Amino acid sequence: MTNAADPGTGIVVADHLSKWYGQVIGLNDVSVSVPPGITGLLGPNGAGKSTFMKVITGQLKPSKGTITVLGEPIWNNPSLYFRIGFCPEQDAFYDRMTGLEWVTALVRLNGLSDGDATEMAHRALEAVELTDAANKKIGAYSKGMRQRVKMAQALAHDPHLLILDEPLSGMDPIARRKTIRMVKDWARAGKSIIVSSHILHEIESMTSNILLINQGRILAEGNVHQIRDLIDEHPHTVYIRAEQTRGLARAFLAQDDVLSLRFEDEAVVVQTGRPDAFYARLTDLAASGELGAIHEVTSPDDNLQAVFKYLVKS
Amino acid sequence: MKPPPLVQSSVRIFDLSLGQMLWSRRSVFLGVLLGGPVLLALALRIVSTLYEAGFRINGVRAAGASIFGMMIWLLYLRFIVPILGVFYGTALIADEVDDKTITYLFTRPIPRRAVLFGKFLAYLACTVLLVLPSVMLVFFLVVPTGGGSIGAAFPSLVGDFGMLIAGLAAYGAVFAFVGTRVKRPLIVGLVFSFGWEPTVLLLPGYLKRLTVAYYLQALVKHEMPQDSAVSVLMQVFREVPSVAASLVCLAAIVAGTLWLSGRAVENREYVLEQ
Repeated sequence: MTNAADPGTGIVVADHLSKWYGQVIGLNDVSVSVPPGITGLLGPNGAGKSTFMKVITGQLKPSKGTITVLGEPIWNNPSLYFRIGFCPEQDAFYDRMTGLEWVTALVRLNGLSDGDATEMAHRALEAVELTDAANKKIGAYSKGMRQRVKMAQALAHDPHLLILDEPLSGMDPIARRKTIRMVKDWARAGKSIIVSSHILHEIESMTSNILLINQGRILAEGNVHQIRDLIDEHPHTVYIRAEQTRGLARAFLAQDDVLSLRFEDEAVVVQTGRPDAFYARLTDLAASGELGAIHEVTSPDDNLQAVFKYLVKS
Repeated sequence: MKPPPLVQSSVRIFDLSLGQMLWSRRSVFLGVLLGGPVLLALALRIVSTLYEAGFRINGVRAAGASIFGMMIWLLYLRFIVPILGVFYGTALIADEVDDKTITYLFTRPIPRRAVLFGKFLAYLACTVLLVLPSVMLVFFLVVPTGGGSIGAAFPSLVGDFGMLIAGLAAYGAVFAFVGTRVKRPLIVGLVFSFGWEPTVLLLPGYLKRLTVAYYLQALVKHEMPQDSAVSVLMQVFREVPSVAASLVCLAAIVAGTLWLSGRAVENREYVLEQ
């Protein structure tokens, strides 16, 4: 367990930070220092991840305690946003704009000239591999493309700190693999990244440094391996929306780690005992295209919720 | 690094918002509403063409310019402009919050109030673009009736546009303020426009100074039809301040309410529904 805030080295430092929404507690006396590099914020839905993300991006003001980002308070401090890029969770856009128009318009708000803004937007769209779709309306983008264009607007102005809220949510396996690779590349290029998810496997594929959050409190901080064993005891559920669900189901059933399987509309829902192996196979299947397109992969947070219940009880 | 100046940030928010606002469902709906006066003008024109006696009020033939002036005051300034102000003004920030796109604007290096100011400018441009064709059509349809001359009446059309822009700015700013401060801004806005203002304007005393319409009345230059119920009503309305005083008060209303709205946006937390 954690929690001494270290203002010396942390890129984000919370000191006895609490946030209430009326009678509801979003964050409860959180003291933490997030080190440079990639940090995963892991917790089930409603754990306080989004509240934490909103406080560290200056959208919400702490009810109590303090928060500093890159050494400065963030609330009502617009100049800090030159050094921060934020990719929010919500799937919200100006749908009538093209990807290029949208990213350019947002980068222009950084005070850049039209030419510079367009150039930076092009570069960012290239980084997230959306160059071909740059002139398409965002309304016509797939879920994965929408996630990537959100990331493009976050990194277009070359910020020092990237804050990504559930960036892999709803992506297909190939887009997921590419995004994970991108996040690692950005970290290697010297950026600090805070990434939230309710899926351990996703966080683990990007970093071993995690903050475990539940009921508004940081439960644990540090290396992922310590809680890894606990997670493995619980089956992991994966929802896959694909073109050929029956073919996929046949391929899954041939594997030992698949514990159960059921169909839901155009999707197949699988419970696996070894998520790592399962996701790796799924990505290979998607890449080969043998069983048609895989449109979306999501995971409900039941798995993690069970682990948190266990952690809180113990 | 310092954030870009407020004016530059506001202009960029204006660029980003104008297209969205112009092609929104709200604009389509209010565009249809603005077709109402055009249809009325068309009907008047047809009546005037078919019956040589023309359009009469209490037996007196009404000049086209007077009817146009009446339409500007009663239909546009007292009905359409407040409606536009209420529907757009209260939604300047609320739309971005409802669409969950406000996050992208509030996590950029610009003062939050620039978002409000930029969107207010976009509102003004958008509503002017909606109102202008409607007023032009009404002008060309109505003024020639009763032997009126378009050429002679044209200078007053320019004045009417100025008056409508002043009305749109004042109502928009007031309702932007309502939108940033009040929980049910649409209801409050409608009650203000169609409850408070008409009532208070008919009462003697100082209360009418707490309306926008009171200051707009001073800017109405048209001669109204005389010897009619309407003219009596207009006389009541025309208990007005001077043009200069009205312009100063309208400017103060716009500046004051926008400044207060900007402060509200700076200090308010917007919690988006998950």
